[in-house]
Amino acid sequence: MSLIENTKCECGHQNAVGTVLCESCGKPLEEQKDTAELPLEMRYDGVARRSQKSNPNVIDRVWNFFSSVKIAIYLIVLTFLTAMLGTIYPQENTFVGNFDPAVYYEETYGLTGKIYYMLGLTHTYESWWFIGLLVMIGTSLVICSLDRVLPLYRALSKQQIRKHLQFILRQKTVFKHTIEGDTGHWAEQFGAQLKRKGYRVHRDGTALLAEKNRFSRWGPYINHIGLILFLLAILARSIPGFQMDTYVSVPDGDTVQIPDTNYYVKSEKFTVEFYKDEELPDKLKGTARAKLYETKAVLYECVSGCGDPTAKPELREVTRHDIVVNDPLKYKGLKLYQFDFDLTPRLNAVHPVLVDKKTGNVYGPFDLPMRDSAMQHKLGPFTLDLYANYMEFAIGDNGEPTTLSRDPVAPAFIFSVKGPGLDPAGEPYMYFPMQKDKVKFAQDTINKGIADKIEIRVDGMDNVDFSEASTHLNVRMDRALPYVWVGAVFSMIGLLMGSYWQHRRIWLRIDGSELSLGAHTNKNWYGMRADVAGALKKVGIAVDPKSLDNGGNNA
Amino acid sequence: MRKSRKTVQVVILIAVLLIGGYAIGTTLFADSDKGPLREGGTPPAFELADLDGNIRQLSDYEGKPVVVNFWGTFCPPCVKEMPEFERQYQKWQDKGLVVLAINLSEDTLTVNNFVHRFELNYPILRDVNRKTERSYGLKSYPTTFFIKPDGSIAEIKVGGMTEADIDERIERLLQL
Repeated sequence: MSLIENTKCECGHQNAVGTVLCESCGKPLEEQKDTAELPLEMRYDGVARRSQKSNPNVIDRVWNFFSSVKIAIYLIVLTFLTAMLGTIYPQENTFVGNFDPAVYYEETYGLTGKIYYMLGLTHTYESWWFIGLLVMIGTSLVICSLDRVLPLYRALSKQQIRKHLQFILRQKTVFKHTIEGDTGHWAEQFGAQLKRKGYRVHRDGTALLAEKNRFSRWGPYINHIGLILFLLAILARSIPGFQMDTYVSVPDGDTVQIPDTNYYVKSEKFTVEFYKDEELPDKLKGTARAKLYETKAVLYECVSGCGDPTAKPELREVTRHDIVVNDPLKYKGLKLYQFDFDLTPRLNAVHPVLVDKKTGNVYGPFDLPMRDSAMQHKLGPFTLDLYANYMEFAIGDNGEPTTLSRDPVAPAFIFSVKGPGLDPAGEPYMYFPMQKDKVKFAQDTINKGIADKIEIRVDGMDNVDFSEASTHLNVRMDRALPYVWVGAVFSMIGLLMGSYWQHRRIWLRIDGSELSLGAHTNKNWYGMRADVAGALKKVGIAVDPKSLDNGGNNA
Repeated sequence: MRKSRKTVQVVILIAVLLIGGYAIGTTLFADSDKGPLREGGTPPAFELADLDGNIRQLSDYEGKPVVVNFWGTFCPPCVKEMPEFERQYQKWQDKGLVVLAINLSEDTLTVNNFVHRFELNYPILRDVNRKTERSYGLKSYPTTFFIKPDGSIAEIKVGGMTEADIDERIERLLQL
């Protein structure tokens, strides 16, 4: 090992390049003349940072870059500034449903919106460069901490008790005195007083080191561990299946698959209740104020036939919950929140009967769902073959029946009916389940002769099955959240350790009968001086705490 | 001591490269997946049953020019296009053209009646609960995707086309 600089201290200790104070005796090394009388720089106890090397290679250079606190601050400021850019216009992920950002930003905000979109600021927080900045901050956090905590740990765990006179007298709290009598006895007495104040006292003849609350020095590093955990958890959200934020719309009674999962959700019933006028203050009377939104939800897991488009998936109920605002259905990290609703009713099925007008006999009821009904219904002597169905019946431009949509707005069915008194080849019968359509399209006129022989009709609302409303649920999953919490707790513990306790140290040596005392703390110098003055008073030396101040910043 | 320090440095820098690389990499890939489909993009995969109950996937037709058309009986321009696609299919079938007509989640009887009326020979696929339609981000009907043999989208046509339009587009697709 060839060192360019001579870093050997006069006490004989070989120090690493970059050492400020000798690791052993504390004598200041290689100093300029003009600072020679000022209090010492005690950061990291004067030891060299790990990365300070005399001949760095590529890895060392990368390492040194991230080891610099200056770079870390630049990175943090840059991240803050770019994060601010992301708040100018709404981010893309705040929009629900089908929306085209390429069009939206230009239409809504004009040219600036277009530029904003082109620069990729519409998804600032998911952009490669923003994530890149976070990764660099994380790296810097790890390397900065590691480079400082390990040397500091070594320095603090093997402290020499007898320090260089210059080291002691250039602390920010200094006291000099001439001791009369037995110096060894005095040191012992003084040590006992410091012990009562909670210091750990180490003695080496007439030299003494008293130390208190060293653990508070680890606070910042524990805080950093927390921040790194936090950051890793945030980055982990990009792992597939770690985070989800999507919406499903479920009509009453329907079971709908939650996109990209194996789960299905059924809404047994959605209820919305409004406040009555007498419950509202005067100025809100007459307005619809919701009191309750509730979805009776059942969550299913698909057990078999899940990805197969030809098979009906086999579902197993896993949990059920009445979802109201702020009380989601929770299952294994999956959360279903009440988000919105739609009160448009939808006809699902009717259970009509067939009436033989000649005999007055009534057959049925039979099940007639609006979608995918059975192709044949046998009712007593009658057979109904479903020939065609329409969701929103209309007559097209070419005069043929057609449908205007795929939702059962004005459903119609055409049956071919066989039975007593009818053509053996079957006679067509057109059936509109909704009374309004029956009238509008003149069902009896269309059906002509057969209308006098039979009738298909629904008896009472009990035989009508419809969804009163649809509920819109927000489906969320965030597996990273527990780790975020753990990180936050670590961070907080570290913060408390570093803020509410101070690492205080007192060094003293007695040369002949001359007492030299120096004390150091990382904050709260007032308390430090009070400790020293208090202990001195107990051994019979009255001193004004203020007089111990040796100058220097923050003293 | 120096050796272990070096190892720690290398291990940490490799970890940074791996984690950082993954994090940045996923954002780069997510960029192209997000938002509506564009020409040059990759069409979402699907796995749907045809009228005979056979499962067909988009990936079955890799290396062939594919026309994916979303249609419904409730949409007059779609209805008009269906026999036109049939004629185009007959015309270009020998060149390897594949036509996949995805029905917009209507019920079986409606689809069957329609297909029998027009005697369509190309595969009619049945979307279920609007799943495929959603993954393609459909806003209006009909919408037709012209997919190159390399699996990327050559053209997206929203709205109806005349038969000449279809012919021209297919010709362009086959030249690619």
